[in-house]
Amino acid sequence: MSEKKKDMALCMIFLLLLVSGFLLCVFLPKEDYSKSERRMLSPMPEWSAQGIWSGRFMSEFESYAVDNFPFRDSFREAKALTALGIFARQDNHGVYVSDGFLSALEYPMNEASLGRAVERFSHVCGKYLTEENKVYLCVIPDKNCFLAKESGHPSMNYEEFERQMAQRADFAEYISVSDLLERDDYYKTDTHWRQEKITDVAERLAQAMGTTLSQDYEIHTLESDFYGVYYGQAALPLAPEKIQYVTGADIDGCTVYDWQNGREIPVYDMDKAVGRDPYEMFLSGSLSLLTINNPNARTDKKLILFRDSFGSSLAPLLISGYEQITLVDIRYIHPDHLDTFLDFEGCDVLFLYSTLILNHSDTIK
Amino acid sequence: MLFSSISFLYYFLPLTLVLYFAVPKAFKNTVLLLASLLFYGWGEPKYVILMALSILLGYGFGLLVEKYREKRAGKAICALSVGISLAFLVYFKYADFFIQNVNAVTGLQLSLLRLALPIGISFYTFQMISYTVDVYKGERAQRNLIHLATYIAMFPQLIAGPIVRYADIAGQLADRKCTWQKSAWGIRRFVIGLAKKILIANQLGELCSAFRASQEKSVLFCWMYAIAFTLQIYFDFSGYSDMAIGLGRVLGFHFQENFNYPYISSSITEFWRRWHISLGTWFRDYVYIPLGGNRKGRGRQLFNILVVWMLTGFWHGAAWNFILWGVLFAVLLTVEKLWLLKRLEESRLLSHIYTLFFVMLSFVIFNGETLGQAFSDIAGLFGGGGIPLVSQEALYCLSSFKIVLFAGIIGATPAARDFVRRISGKAAGNKLLNVLEPVVLTVLMLVMTAYLVDGSFNPFLYFRF
Repeated sequence: MSEKKKDMALCMIFLLLLVSGFLLCVFLPKEDYSKSERRMLSPMPEWSAQGIWSGRFMSEFESYAVDNFPFRDSFREAKALTALGIFARQDNHGVYVSDGFLSALEYPMNEASLGRAVERFSHVCGKYLTEENKVYLCVIPDKNCFLAKESGHPSMNYEEFERQMAQRADFAEYISVSDLLERDDYYKTDTHWRQEKITDVAERLAQAMGTTLSQDYEIHTLESDFYGVYYGQAALPLAPEKIQYVTGADIDGCTVYDWQNGREIPVYDMDKAVGRDPYEMFLSGSLSLLTINNPNARTDKKLILFRDSFGSSLAPLLISGYEQITLVDIRYIHPDHLDTFLDFEGCDVLFLYSTLILNHSDTIK
Repeated sequence: MLFSSISFLYYFLPLTLVLYFAVPKAFKNTVLLLASLLFYGWGEPKYVILMALSILLGYGFGLLVEKYREKRAGKAICALSVGISLAFLVYFKYADFFIQNVNAVTGLQLSLLRLALPIGISFYTFQMISYTVDVYKGERAQRNLIHLATYIAMFPQLIAGPIVRYADIAGQLADRKCTWQKSAWGIRRFVIGLAKKILIANQLGELCSAFRASQEKSVLFCWMYAIAFTLQIYFDFSGYSDMAIGLGRVLGFHFQENFNYPYISSSITEFWRRWHISLGTWFRDYVYIPLGGNRKGRGRQLFNILVVWMLTGFWHGAAWNFILWGVLFAVLLTVEKLWLLKRLEESRLLSHIYTLFFVMLSFVIFNGETLGQAFSDIAGLFGGGGIPLVSQEALYCLSSFKIVLFAGIIGATPAARDFVRRISGKAAGNKLLNVLEPVVLTVLMLVMTAYLVDGSFNPFLYFRF
């Protein structure tokens, strides 16, 4: 090939790439929502003299151009594979793969955050509880506890984490469940634990809190595929998972009241199971205040469960040991407003939080 | 607008190129000027007016300087023009620095202006000064306003150089040729520059950010940071220069080279012949030589060096660490000139280590948000502050960035260029390159697009200048 022909070919390829990219950007249909990233995509900004003068239009157009680029998911996948495969990066956007499991780096331990979390729990206890209330604390280790060290990623000292929480929260009896958990108890592509794998955790908690659970469980599998929250962040080609959930006589007979929206909701929301985040099928996801009533209870014990999203899948497993469980998420409701809805008298209280929340406790009100 | 953005690569660039090559020769500068104003206004719509005002003033002063350059008034007009250009720069870039320092010294509480820095003002101000001074020295003033505006505002080099001198480009503004050969050369250079920026500099920037955010500093981490930033600033800035030079060539212009593998230098003197060449030659021709250069005795020469390097530092930013950065180079260059340069010739290895060490230290100072932070980072290199030798986070970053660091170190030498030259020197190798080159460049473009679409870390260091 002559030099001139070679140069011409190179110019034509480059121009073709740019022009076809432009045409696809402009004419390919756009989507509003990214399923893999679980977020709305930036829309085309509207023209206005003020928007252009202030630079807002341009800034929004940059987001639009990136969000609506043709074959966006494939490009994101290509980037992740290049970063991990060619540049041997150990994570992509802070998410790493270890033996088919995805996890986000969680390091280092933030002692100030632990202190803040305990201070908020202590505030709740001081404001509402008497000596009659039994108070418990349980820390759920995140997946890194079982993945990070083995795969050479920085890892918090989880024993020290639990020790510090137990020591700082001296107003609560600490229940450790970390010895019951292992890597396979978590979803491969999500932060959360698998409900069908944590019946032993529920049993340990119930035993420590002086109640007995029914062993009458039946496991069901959702038909739809589940891509967890890390799947979108990692942008790697991983197989989908299946969500399983547990039913039983007590769970089936329960009623759940959603105080936030003033309505009854099911224990397992099958609409959410096929929605943006299928894990939200457990007690309808992130709601600030729920009460589960168990009409078939063999006890009059009541539990107030201060929790994060890990509690959504655990609470149904505990219900057979209680007449009523109230779930409170003080990331979404300020604890000072709880007496409007709750009567703490005679209730046991359990603070059940994952290390992911405790290590970033500024989300707790 | 950033070269390394989807909006530039897949909206602005294809439209501009198609339009530029579609119009007759007489309208090419008009298309280029309009595209450049859009490019500039995309980031700073308000400051297009400031740039337009600078251009109009430069145009008028150029004609006046030409008319009166043989008379005493010519010098005064030229000085006035330079003064006005510098006044814009000082007002927008340095006003708050001066106010802060006046407040600190006098105890006054003058309010800061808090002006946003017009992008590229440091570059286009210097180009404007070069125009007026070149006209004063005998260059013909530009009568065509569009040509002059195109010179100042041309988007490839508008915001981060190279600083193109009017005398170098005056002829090309009126008459230039676009050929397949030039365009192909320009495309190669552009894609390589983009790769240096997106694939190397941005990833090294992530390492620097991880260091800055870390609560677990260690000696190893401090060294990794210092090395990573030294490489990042090279790949960021030289990548941008490559893109500018490449795009310029596609459009038919020939811009001066700005970098020539500075990290293979064996002295600071050599380093500055290879680093930001257009800035170095600008200061040499428009400051050092007018101050007397080396023609007025050794003492005056050393003073001139100090002035030039303090100004070079100050040009990079309105903060004391930039001035200190410049002074450090003034001291090193002086020591080399007086004594060290000949000694350095004795050992290539030691001279290379010496150069890289001081260049790296200088960039740690350069990148400090404050002088205190810069000194703390330097102390960290030697275990200052009681930090441990290694930390878990440092080891993880080393593991995660080892390929990028390695690629950066190799890429900062001419090894890859020499390898390609060796292959292309043989018939079989040349044939292989003919096939491989377009494939590699296309794959690179797609991978870089993937990085941009992923919304990866994408700062640009020289925007702040």
